Amino acid sequence: MSEPERPFRRLSPLTPLVRGFILVVAVLASTWDDVLGGGNIGPLGWLLLTMLLGGAVYGFASWLRTKYWIESDELRVDTGVVSRQSRRIRVDRLQGIDISQPFVARLFGLAELKMDVAGGGSREGSLAFLPLREAEELRAALLSRRDAVRAVEAAVEAAEPGDGASPAAPPAPVPERIIATLDPRTLIVSLLLSPESFAFVFAALFFGTLFAVVGNLGGVAVVPVLIGFALAQLRRLSAYYGFTVSETPNGLYVRRGLFEKDAQTITLARVQGVVVSEPLLWRGFGWAKLDVALAGYARSADSDGRPSASTVMPVAPRPLVIGLARRLLAEAGSPDPDVVALTPPPLRARWVAPVRRHFLFSGAGDGLVVSREGMVTRRTHVVPHARVQSLQLRQGPWQRRFGLADLQVDSPPGPVRVRARHRDAREARALLQRENDVARRARAARSPGPGLTG
Amino acid sequence: MDDLFAPPDDAWQRVSPALARMRHVLVVLVAVLALVVLVVLALVLALPLGVWLSLVVVVGALAVLAWVQAGRNARRWGYAERDEDLYIRHGVMFRTLVVVPYGRMQYVDVHAGPLEQLFRIASVHLHTASPGTSARIPGLPASEAARLRDRLTSLGEAQAAGL
Repeated sequence: MSEPERPFRRLSPLTPLVRGFILVVAVLASTWDDVLGGGNIGPLGWLLLTMLLGGAVYGFASWLRTKYWIESDELRVDTGVVSRQSRRIRVDRLQGIDISQPFVARLFGLAELKMDVAGGGSREGSLAFLPLREAEELRAALLSRRDAVRAVEAAVEAAEPGDGASPAAPPAPVPERIIATLDPRTLIVSLLLSPESFAFVFAALFFGTLFAVVGNLGGVAVVPVLIGFALAQLRRLSAYYGFTVSETPNGLYVRRGLFEKDAQTITLARVQGVVVSEPLLWRGFGWAKLDVALAGYARSADSDGRPSASTVMPVAPRPLVIGLARRLLAEAGSPDPDVVALTPPPLRARWVAPVRRHFLFSGAGDGLVVSREGMVTRRTHVVPHARVQSLQLRQGPWQRRFGLADLQVDSPPGPVRVRARHRDAREARALLQRENDVARRARAARSPGPGLTG
Repeated sequence: MDDLFAPPDDAWQRVSPALARMRHVLVVLVAVLALVVLVVLALVLALPLGVWLSLVVVVGALAVLAWVQAGRNARRWGYAERDEDLYIRHGVMFRTLVVVPYGRMQYVDVHAGPLEQLFRIASVHLHTASPGTSARIPGLPASEAARLRDRLTSLGEAQAAGL
């Protein structure tokens, strides 16, 4: 019952319309003819109209009851028509704020603000929908407020003044510097040359010949495969279209989307590792893709055709991708993953992995543990020493015969998975011990300042 | 030969022999169940005696194998509490050695199922931010499990490294 004494704000009044847009369209479409026709819209029509009216009333009431305001370093959100809820989101707990524009919302110039809160892991706070401008302003206001609060907390803690990870956060405006964009031509070519295209051509040939041999349906059989492939690639195209990475005091800011616009901040302090992927057909162009693993952002890489939020750059020339990767690894002192010396497993690993042996590399270097694998799509997994969770040495019976073992670096859920496979067993054990020490030192070095020395 | 999975310092701390006993009991239970099924099958389907006997022999052989393997596996579990990390080793065929820094622990679970309670043992499970961390120690005497949990928790708090 505590009425806010501060001025509160409301969501956009169009919110109920956007939320129920599908329903509105469906009802109008199904009853319009009848209304125009003779005025007799039948019981079903009445039912739908009643539902629509009820929905509108509820939506309006919900809009009326939803208020948000910032008070004493908390974002407060009051919601609920029947039972009221009051949520408080501590500003200093904000990990990142994403702005997303679902298609319908975009038609009305609205946006959803998604707040990523530490500890929860899941998205706890969401404000939908706000006018885009307002959403951007609120986002900037919250982030700069967070940085101010954190700066104060750091000063109070007063151990050492350097919050080294992010270069001194100025609280006022959010200057934005674009560091990478994706042009549509590259995107389209890259999608046509992706591993999925490879798979599609194979599937088409296989089913085509199969049906040509069995019956006379060669062409027809390819159609569903083609549709599936086209849909998956179109989904990627629309998700990655207009991909822009820019540099802000809060980290990297990623915007993307053709119909649905998404915006996301990658807080550098949350980076757990990166993956550079190079599909076979891209290598001729020297292209690569960059994915990042973020703490509390349990989304896997783009695997089943769904474009993923972990992607920092869907396709770009390799040097640019490496540059972005180094930016993301700022906490480890921005080392170059390519500088880490990667070595293949010993020759006798051919008895365990005759073909794959040629595509397995791993190594540990200044600030990073790196492994590379993959025949068709070459993936380079990179984890900073300071982000190693735990280490595992594994050995199966067949590996034991040849004195080989795997070393696995455990990371939080995400696309990154560093594994040194089929290494010499003694070397693997030594690596486990060494990496454990290095990781401990790197963790310890992180608290007072930037862990520059590996 | 075994130096690959040798303890980091001097020796592994072993788990309770009750773990092997519990697993042996499980093997026996399953074997008995299988025999009962076989008897029922023989009565219902009127299997020829030769077939039935060979099935019994197969089940018996499997049970013996499982008995031996369960014992070896249970005895193989070892852990070493160090100043800043915990080593766990397990597995006979597929061997694993895990190192979990205390600073990386998110929380510690102690679990004891009904059968484990009967044998007065429990398993301790360490969770890090990575689901891939398979840091579990089964077959600890209940008191040792509680001690380990408390020690790990306090060490984890003292050395917490954030994410």
